[in-house]
Amino acid sequence: MRLKRSALPLLLAALLPALGACATRPPADDPESVAEFRQNNDPIEPFNRGSYAVHQAIDRNVLAPVARGYRAVVPTPVRLGVRNVLANLRTPVILVNDVLQGEPRRAGDTLGRFVVNSTLGVGGIFDVAGNRLGVRGHAEDFGQTFARWGVGEGPYLFIPVIGPSNPRDLTGFGLGIAADPLVWLGQGATVDALTYSRTGATVVDTREELLDPLDAVERTSLDSYATLRSAYRQRRRAEIDNRTGGGTPSGFGTGFGVGPGEPSAPAGR
Amino acid sequence: MAPRRLLLGTVLALAASAGGARAQGADPARATRFIQSTGQELVAALNSNAPLAQRRQQVSAILHRAVDVEGVGRFILGRWWRQASAAEQQEYMRLFDETLIRNLSARFGEYQGVRFSLGRAQQRTEDDVLVNTIIERPNLAPFSLDWRVGDVNGQPKVVDVIAEGTSLRLTQRSEYSAVIQRNNGQISALLAAMRNQIQQLAAREGR
Repeated sequence: MRLKRSALPLLLAALLPALGACATRPPADDPESVAEFRQNNDPIEPFNRGSYAVHQAIDRNVLAPVARGYRAVVPTPVRLGVRNVLANLRTPVILVNDVLQGEPRRAGDTLGRFVVNSTLGVGGIFDVAGNRLGVRGHAEDFGQTFARWGVGEGPYLFIPVIGPSNPRDLTGFGLGIAADPLVWLGQGATVDALTYSRTGATVVDTREELLDPLDAVERTSLDSYATLRSAYRQRRRAEIDNRTGGGTPSGFGTGFGVGPGEPSAPAGR
Repeated sequence: MAPRRLLLGTVLALAASAGGARAQGADPARATRFIQSTGQELVAALNSNAPLAQRRQQVSAILHRAVDVEGVGRFILGRWWRQASAAEQQEYMRLFDETLIRNLSARFGEYQGVRFSLGRAQQRTEDDVLVNTIIERPNLAPFSLDWRVGDVNGQPKVVDVIAEGTSLRLTQRSEYSAVIQRNNGQISALLAAMRNQIQQLAAREGR
């Protein structure tokens, strides 16, 4: 997702009050509960739970209904095309990160996919590289690159609309926006329009993809906040080690940590 | 230099033989066969035309045979297990068992037409084997699922399921612990929440 450039500092400033809302550290004479506190890595949990409540309100009233409408109205092949185009637009940033992580093979895959899908795939609408040539996409972002360079994740953060994150991944998310070639196109009404459409499409597409997994979490979890926190951090670790199946289309930043891993075809219903 | 290398070699050889001895418990080939046969039984039960109650019974029987329900349940309650009274432990295991089955049977519809196949090679971890499978459902992208197979009293048993690096038992432990913590460490609060969830799941199934 591409925020308007001025929005990012605002977003970060909004996080500052978080410092005041610290979770109570368990007493030192209870080592198991201290261990769990460390493992959860969520020292500002009360603030994060507040953010989560805000997010859920936005989600229930706007994001989820729009995503459901999108699924109901737009036919599956069109949604797949949209997903592919958005994924193709993300490839340059993935390529940069493949290179920064010293992964020449994966960088080659990414570059090849970009060239083939942008041309034969008609601007990325069709994933020719994946479907015909068997070169599956994968995701990379600056947060993962930092991790590979040894940067720690920092405390867990939940940010409305963006979802689960942490200072490292959030910084990576901002860098991903700044590094996007669309930014370099300059300014002007056309670029702005492109940027906004792409941001909107990315949010809707990502939320549509997460409809089923997030519904399942809502339905089965006794504490969806804790479930998402745990799932995000485990999933992120797997992504950093490149243990996941392939490219996750989670276009908005690091997104919710619970989506299906492969760039999947939209659910046909 | 040479003696040191020799020493290192000996240590490695010892470690390897120790590993070999332990691996008898978790034999990858056996674990793979176990997952294959269990998966086939499960898919057959899910896709059968039997009435819902009967299918649930079949699935429940398969899961009780294949999953180390007791061990998984204890793992998930984690540090709270020892703080629970005997009655709470018993009640928790009963509810956990029912939650497991209900959570699956509530989604039988979604698994109509499911197929599964063994995926890329299994790998051995410290004392378990991870068996990779590919799950395919009609109109949905296939996804990869890893089954952690441990050895319980000489029998292979499923002890965890991992999707895209996310372990089900770790996630659920975090969830249950959060419920207990947010209720001032009362295990009874978790039991109440579980009971409530089972009721909702039963209502969803329409019986």
